[in-house]
Amino acid sequence: MSNCADVVIVGGGIIGCATAYYLAKMGSDVIVLEGSDHIGNGGSSRNGGGVRQSGRDVRELPLVMHGIQNLWPTLSDELEVDCEYHQDGNLRLGKTEKHREILTRLADNAKGVGLDVRMIDGDEVRQINPYLSDEVTCASWCPTDGHANPLTTTLGYYKMARKNGVRFITGEMVRELRTVKGKIRRVITEHNVYEGESVLVAAGLFSRPILSSVGIDIPMTNSLLEALVTEAEPHMFDQMLGTAEADFYGHQTKHGSFVFGGSSGLERFNKDNGTPVTNSKTAPCICRGIMKYFPDLANAKIVRTWAGWMDASADGVPALGKVDEVPGLYVACAFHGHGFGIAPAAAQQLAELIVTGETDIDLSELRYDRFKAKI
Amino acid sequence: MKRYDLIIVGAGPAGLSAAIEAAKRGMNVVVFDENEKPGGQLFKQIHKFFGSKEHKARIRGFVIGQQLLDEADALGVQVILNATVIGLYQDKEITVKTGEEIQHFKGDAVIIATGAAENMVTFDGWTLPGVIGAGAAQTMMNLHGVKPGRKILMLGSGNVGLVVSYQLMQCGCEVVALVDAAPKVGGYGVHAAKIARTGVPFYLSHTIVRAEGEESVTGVVIAEVDEHFQFIPGTEKHFDVDTICLAVGLSPMSQLLKMAGCEMEDNPKRGGQVPVCDTWGETSLPGIYVAGDVSGIEEASSAMIEGRMAGVAVAEYLGYIEKGERDKELAHLQQALEGLRQGMFAPKNRGKQITETEEGIPVSVQLLKYGYVADDEIERYPGVTHKHGIHPVMECTQNIPCNPCQDVCPKKCISIGDNITSLPTIAEETECINCGMCVASCSGQAVFLVNEDCGDGTATVTLPYEFLPLPAIGTKGEGLGRNGKKVCEAEVIDVKSLKAFDKTNLLTIRVPKEYAMKARFFKKYA
Amino acid sequence: MNEVNDRSRDIGEYIPALDDDQIICRCEEITKGEIRRAVHDGMWTLTEIRRYLRTGMGLCQGQTCSRLVKGIVAKELGVVPDQLEPATSRVPMRPIEMYIFANEAKEADGHE
Repeated sequence: MSNCADVVIVGGGIIGCATAYYLAKMGSDVIVLEGSDHIGNGGSSRNGGGVRQSGRDVRELPLVMHGIQNLWPTLSDELEVDCEYHQDGNLRLGKTEKHREILTRLADNAKGVGLDVRMIDGDEVRQINPYLSDEVTCASWCPTDGHANPLTTTLGYYKMARKNGVRFITGEMVRELRTVKGKIRRVITEHNVYEGESVLVAAGLFSRPILSSVGIDIPMTNSLLEALVTEAEPHMFDQMLGTAEADFYGHQTKHGSFVFGGSSGLERFNKDNGTPVTNSKTAPCICRGIMKYFPDLANAKIVRTWAGWMDASADGVPALGKVDEVPGLYVACAFHGHGFGIAPAAAQQLAELIVTGETDIDLSELRYDRFKAKI
Repeated sequence: MKRYDLIIVGAGPAGLSAAIEAAKRGMNVVVFDENEKPGGQLFKQIHKFFGSKEHKARIRGFVIGQQLLDEADALGVQVILNATVIGLYQDKEITVKTGEEIQHFKGDAVIIATGAAENMVTFDGWTLPGVIGAGAAQTMMNLHGVKPGRKILMLGSGNVGLVVSYQLMQCGCEVVALVDAAPKVGGYGVHAAKIARTGVPFYLSHTIVRAEGEESVTGVVIAEVDEHFQFIPGTEKHFDVDTICLAVGLSPMSQLLKMAGCEMEDNPKRGGQVPVCDTWGETSLPGIYVAGDVSGIEEASSAMIEGRMAGVAVAEYLGYIEKGERDKELAHLQQALEGLRQGMFAPKNRGKQITETEEGIPVSVQLLKYGYVADDEIERYPGVTHKHGIHPVMECTQNIPCNPCQDVCPKKCISIGDNITSLPTIAEETECINCGMCVASCSGQAVFLVNEDCGDGTATVTLPYEFLPLPAIGTKGEGLGRNGKKVCEAEVIDVKSLKAFDKTNLLTIRVPKEYAMKARFFKKYA
Repeated sequence: MNEVNDRSRDIGEYIPALDDDQIICRCEEITKGEIRRAVHDGMWTLTEIRRYLRTGMGLCQGQTCSRLVKGIVAKELGVVPDQLEPATSRVPMRPIEMYIFANEAKEADGHE
């Protein structure tokens, strides 16, 4: 089988799989190289499943709004898999005056780009979600936000891309990119060399060393995200939840289990032993946090905890688009822990960019070379 | 954070043995176990163990468990029960759930001795209530005093399937059949023979087609399988049962090691996913050790030795003993372990077709196929001899590492020799005094005392009997052959239950003399 | 070390079987047929199967079914089961109530 394709995608996460899918639909020949043994093994399978606009930086809002309006509603049908997409709103909860200020600022910014999001008080919060404790005094409410299942969505894109002829190879860790006559061309792995007219690097944290081989650097660092999953509980609510300080978030899945992410404050300092590992202090801390918001969940059994590395960028939004310095090279990384909801739109725009050279949504705010010194 | 020299997870044979060796050398040891009772599987083992003296042979499993506990206790080991270790983290930290709280502990060393979990097989109806694991049945009977069912079919002829089938009968259940997809009995022949002689039919090269029942199991259909394990149409057999017991192997419960980041391997010879470790149990993570089934499925006797090895190794790792002492001790333990890993059932012989004993005697084909040695096969084994007066008949036909019979005979009639797996032989010149110790001490219940000709046309057969109620002297019934079928009339003429027999009762039956070498079990008239 | 695994390799078509309705993962009620079809959808590792179908994600965390699922996937892929890496294990080893997990004991410091 030929190791040449129109596009070689480095990274088999949701961005890689979805871009491959949209490219294949547009007639491109695509190879996806995934370094680990599993498709979607990084942040794509290790996130809270939020499909939300509220709380985001305005630079990425147009993209995510595009996805929620145009892609998410029909995604399950399109991918022939249950993405478990729910558009039942997002409550971003606050308990203190400081929280109210943060939430109000975020809401005002979002309103500025046309998002329906508003501040509500504690009573209205409990009308929307009666299980929330009295400690919650305010929230931002965005009715068009929601959540979905990151696992089935990512693997759904993979399945359909594969059906459309995309060649996926797992266990193929990319070591280096090489240009040929000033243009990107070769993707070199431990065992093989692949060639593409275009190359997209969407490898999360691994993007940095890979891009380095063609002299490109995107400032990003790793930060651990930890979450826990309960056994299936009777249905309680459908909203996506978050907090002003982003220390706790989650939702109830279609299956009935709750998936809650949270923080102990030690995330940036966690050690790795080859696989993202949970810290012994974090899950108890998340549990205490959840019970403050949801006293009713005290008896729910935790069946699993998990952790994942986030590719945190220097300014909190991803690097997305064309790398002008290296013709044919594209990047999509540093999604900063909120890449899932934005992924369908990002991937679709990337595919358009690669094939036509243009995008519906202006991606200039997310350029790879935007990072400047503060003075 | 509270810190111990050594944290052990699992208070089974491996964990307790490790704790004893470590505490003996001055270490501060804690053992956590999620169960309310310690001992792991040991307290469910009511049968006598095989092996030699140093392997605690002919002692019942639960007694061994109590001995280990007492020893650990005397050495100051803390055994904390109802304590579930929920995580093994980096830096040898564990979190333990006790009561309604969780605690964090650190160990300078950690030994994981979590044992194994039962495998399942699937067939139509396998999720019905009434389909249970053999280990679960054992837990119900021997820990909680609950009868698992009334009429039971056992799938699996390995030692677990055989031992549990016998225990089910002891607890008053009817075992309607013993079934295995393999073409031959997987466990010790002596375990099979003691079941077959009570009349339980063996169906090798058979497996379960479906469990029947709406709410719970009411019946089961089995059928014969070909060499590719495909059902042969027309061979279906139905049994009315309320319980189906599955004894289809064990898998190491190695999750804690995997979550800690130990290098793991999938090793079918060791029963599944196990940590990569050296001979005394150190994993790829320094200071984290393993012992017992979690590092490869064997049995309790080897788990105890592995536990002791890990305990000794940790003592050296933490500087409580010198390398020289460790190496001497480990060499000795290694030898004991090797002793257990001998014979036809040794790990190295798994999957091999064995046609002859070490002595060059053809193995019993009947035993492997039907669970009993045929009358015309039994005479070829060295323990089966004939002489005037009462003498032992040792129906021991496979090379297994076991020798209590030669130790207990006060007249030295029985000899196994230095090679522990040799078949027992009978010394011609010495005189049997009918003490019964050989009968009672044989963990396989394979020894009989026979007087082939009492001079009045009858013979007497003294057999091991571990069922209640004990028949009274004078009880009349049937003499059953090795195959469990009636061969003659029989009458109980003596019942001995000495303390030295350790609950194995000796039943002496009188039978017509032509059945002296055929009658091997007694069933009283209904 | 990860192994190069070309997901375009031809493993043949999914062929329905009589026992496809048999439940394999009891906790999540996943059938043999669903597992077999998932393999043909491209889920070639036990981790992918787990994420796609939820096998082994229930209360027993795969204690009962992981070996069974492995056998089915291996057969469908035409490989021996031990070539397939089991899905990862995660804290807690046993399901634990949130209020207990939250309740960390106050600890006495020091070496006992």
